[in-house]
Amino acid sequence: MNLQRLLIQKMEHRIIVGTVAFLAMLAIVGWIAINEPGRMAAFSRQYSGRSIERGAILFSNNCSTCHGIDGLGVIGRAPALNTPYLFGHDFLADISLELRTLGFEYDAEGTTDVRKAEIDARRAELEAEQATRVAQMQTALDAQGDYDPTAPGRLQNLGWGGTVRNYVYTTLVHGRPNSATYWPQPMGAWAQIAGGPLRNDQLEDLTNYILNWDKSEEWTIADLNRVRQFPRTPVDGAQFAGLTGEPTVGTDVAAILTEISTLQGNIQSGETLYSTLACAGCHNGGAVGPATEGTWTRASELRLQDPAVQALLPELTAQAYVVHSIVLPYEYLVAPYGPVMPATFGTTLSYQQMADLLIYLQSQDQPIQ
Amino acid sequence: MSVLPFPSFLDDIKEKGLKRAVFDGVNEVVERITAGMNLQDIREALRGEAPSRKPNPRLQPHADGFWLHMRPSYFHKSVTGVYPEFRLGWLSTYFVFFETITGIFLMVFYTPSPEVAYANMLTIMSNVPLGQFMRDLHRLGAEAMVIIVTLHMLRTFLTASYKKPREFTWATGIILIFLTYFLSFSGYLLPWDQLALWAVTIGASMVEAAPPEIVGTNLNLLLRGGPDIGANGLLRFYLLHVLAVPALLFMFTGVHYYKVIIHGHSLPPKEENIGEDTAKRVPLDKRVYFIPDVLTSEIMWIAVTTLILVVLVTWFFHAPLENHADPQVTPLGTTAPWYFLWVQGALKLGDKVLWGIIFPTVLLVFFIIWPYIDTAPSRRWAHRRIQLTVGFVIMSMLVIFSYMGLAEFGVVNSADTTVMYHLTKEPAHNQVGTLRPIPFEELQAGIYTTRQFEALDESEQTTVVNAFNAELEMVNTDGGRAIAEDVLAYLGTSQNLPLSSLEVVPVSSSSRELREVVEGFAHELEINENELHNAWGLIIVTDVQDDLKRIDVVIRWEDVELENGKVVFDEAGEPVLRLDENGNTIPRLNSQHIYIHRDSQYFAAPGA
Repeated sequence: MNLQRLLIQKMEHRIIVGTVAFLAMLAIVGWIAINEPGRMAAFSRQYSGRSIERGAILFSNNCSTCHGIDGLGVIGRAPALNTPYLFGHDFLADISLELRTLGFEYDAEGTTDVRKAEIDARRAELEAEQATRVAQMQTALDAQGDYDPTAPGRLQNLGWGGTVRNYVYTTLVHGRPNSATYWPQPMGAWAQIAGGPLRNDQLEDLTNYILNWDKSEEWTIADLNRVRQFPRTPVDGAQFAGLTGEPTVGTDVAAILTEISTLQGNIQSGETLYSTLACAGCHNGGAVGPATEGTWTRASELRLQDPAVQALLPELTAQAYVVHSIVLPYEYLVAPYGPVMPATFGTTLSYQQMADLLIYLQSQDQPIQ
Repeated sequence: MSVLPFPSFLDDIKEKGLKRAVFDGVNEVVERITAGMNLQDIREALRGEAPSRKPNPRLQPHADGFWLHMRPSYFHKSVTGVYPEFRLGWLSTYFVFFETITGIFLMVFYTPSPEVAYANMLTIMSNVPLGQFMRDLHRLGAEAMVIIVTLHMLRTFLTASYKKPREFTWATGIILIFLTYFLSFSGYLLPWDQLALWAVTIGASMVEAAPPEIVGTNLNLLLRGGPDIGANGLLRFYLLHVLAVPALLFMFTGVHYYKVIIHGHSLPPKEENIGEDTAKRVPLDKRVYFIPDVLTSEIMWIAVTTLILVVLVTWFFHAPLENHADPQVTPLGTTAPWYFLWVQGALKLGDKVLWGIIFPTVLLVFFIIWPYIDTAPSRRWAHRRIQLTVGFVIMSMLVIFSYMGLAEFGVVNSADTTVMYHLTKEPAHNQVGTLRPIPFEELQAGIYTTRQFEALDESEQTTVVNAFNAELEMVNTDGGRAIAEDVLAYLGTSQNLPLSSLEVVPVSSSSRELREVVEGFAHELEINENELHNAWGLIIVTDVQDDLKRIDVVIRWEDVELENGKVVFDEAGEPVLRLDENGNTIPRLNSQHIYIHRDSQYFAAPGA
């Protein structure tokens, strides 16, 4: 083969090859274009499946301590999400509909007495049926929280105007405040835009996972009865104990230590704060953050030995370490915990509250395994 | 007499008749557009005939037209074939335009912000007709351009075409190759996925090492727009990718090509006497005219090359898209883009400044000044033994460094982490955890063990599993807990997996792929039996939601002494076990879990 000649010698061959290649390319692109709707739908399906998988991991890491790994709620802490109540499934829908229709017919002009008697009989049947169904829900009615079979939609009960999706999503974004009649600890804001740890796409993943619990028409009363904790309906205005109006501590550890050295902390107030500030939500059992118990011992015997910590603190005391961890939580992380804790406590806590928290934490210093 | 007060087309019609007048009009328009060739000239050219009028109209577009004034009107016959150029320079130019066109398409759907960049990618994939197609073309074109440009440089080196008077052409070529690499690299970040973020983090951290410290720190701040890559960094990389680097690339392409034309394409070394440069003196019988031969050839190659790319992205290549970028999660096995692996490999040799900054810079400068070092007149291989040796040494070094840059080289992970990683890995770098592609129907809830495959033949597997169950439930003689209790407590507290009992069952023979994976798991434990002493593994499948399963991988082994991540052996060649104060072995547990959705569609990696 002579490599020094034009690869395709004859002009007409070049024209044919070029034309055929061009037409072949057009044919392939056309074929791709025809299949695009199917390809795009398949991609969306696949992506939403993988999104749910990532959401499941996020849920297991961040949410399951309070909402239960199965999403059925934890008694006294947080409500179920894996429940027909959240998705507004009405187990009495068919009965209520027929009762209402019969009611209209009964009241309408021209309904004969014979028909009215029939309607009454049917109504009695339906009410009996309704009572039977409600009786089946007894476990759910006895469970913690408010569940009313005749008002079975969480969104309707709250007067929420949007969909379940944006209800879940917005709740994740800004969390939930607490109140005297609500949960002992508020739910923190999870979105980065609201000061939390998660990105928007992670919130989408979590929302997709939570919505994937919806069985729509397949919900059964047995599903309802498995719920451990139903939501509560807030009736009081929120009383958030976090904000006192006093000067806040800021993030200068040395200055905080000087200020609180003159203050006497109160264990009781510290314990209340620990719960209202939602510390316990993550630090209970050491699931999301280091365990409450043994904080002091761990700080003095382990953390202070780390040169990285020594470089950060103005003085080498457990107190300094804990104060630093509260106001600057991301500067030093202990494996396997991630940067999840709100970094805003410097702007919300007063000096007295800081002192209360410290004395409470010190009092929780039982040796741990 | 004219029907209008000036000579017009109507007069033409009156004079010549409609058909002739229209033809003449069209002919004139064509001649103006082609800057000198009328329909007859084009027809002759395409039929391969000699031009019928003088002066030769086929030279006219080169003299009068804008586009063709950049191209020579004829080439030496010896440079129009495959050898010596392999059309690599032409292909590089082709890819510059190809990338510009596909890039502009993608720009329409892209916003350079971490908030939405990844969502834009999803939109391109899921809601833009031909979106994936264009993205694949752009990505494939980028990889191809890096290869082509590199080969172009290699060819120029091998035929010694950089020699006088082409030294400066070579220097602009080195700048172009650098720009091409950087263009490809700056595009890497834009999808804002894990692959992008970590590849670029590795690359940009080299900038930070530039001495002295004040320069490195500030260069890094300039490039990344902050200590870490965030919104500013993404915007900067985007502007570099779509504006600054392409502008430089076009400028240097112009200079480079101008120099090529000025000096002529260098001929194959054997066709010239030593020390001569006859490229500009082309004898009449050696001329291949641009019009029609080279032009039709180039148009044909545009069609053929584009067809090849289209075929590749239709059946063989898809641009990767990994999970959303997450600065908190460093994936195992993160590497720089493949064409920068040699720098990553060099970095493993030691000093960051020396190998990350000085070494590449020295190499770049060395390449640029090379024509001034190698000034020997001969371009023939026999006379260039030293020069070719230097070239091959550098090439071998880059290949070896690139191999060293691979994640597998020189990075020690503990055996349990590695084994679990092989099972659970998210799709990345053309690999996926072996558990993920198992058909959803095969994932029946249950607890399976690697012990099953210690049975000698299949009929005994049930017996082996039952014996294993008994072993799990056996309470230690010294009053300790049963193994099952330990495992359950571990899963409950650290993995959020509340199980009531640990009842292992054999993998059903109908679940063929699950069976293969568990068997593969057993095999991997066996390979690592020194570090994972007496190890066994569990695969626990649980139902989470109707179309979602959870899979836990558990490994339990007896701890052995490790030194720098390597197992310590005694004289008998057995691994040294770590013992507690009672002289018992210390059991270790590790576990990891993933979720699998029915629609997730993971594919086994090609060749896996």
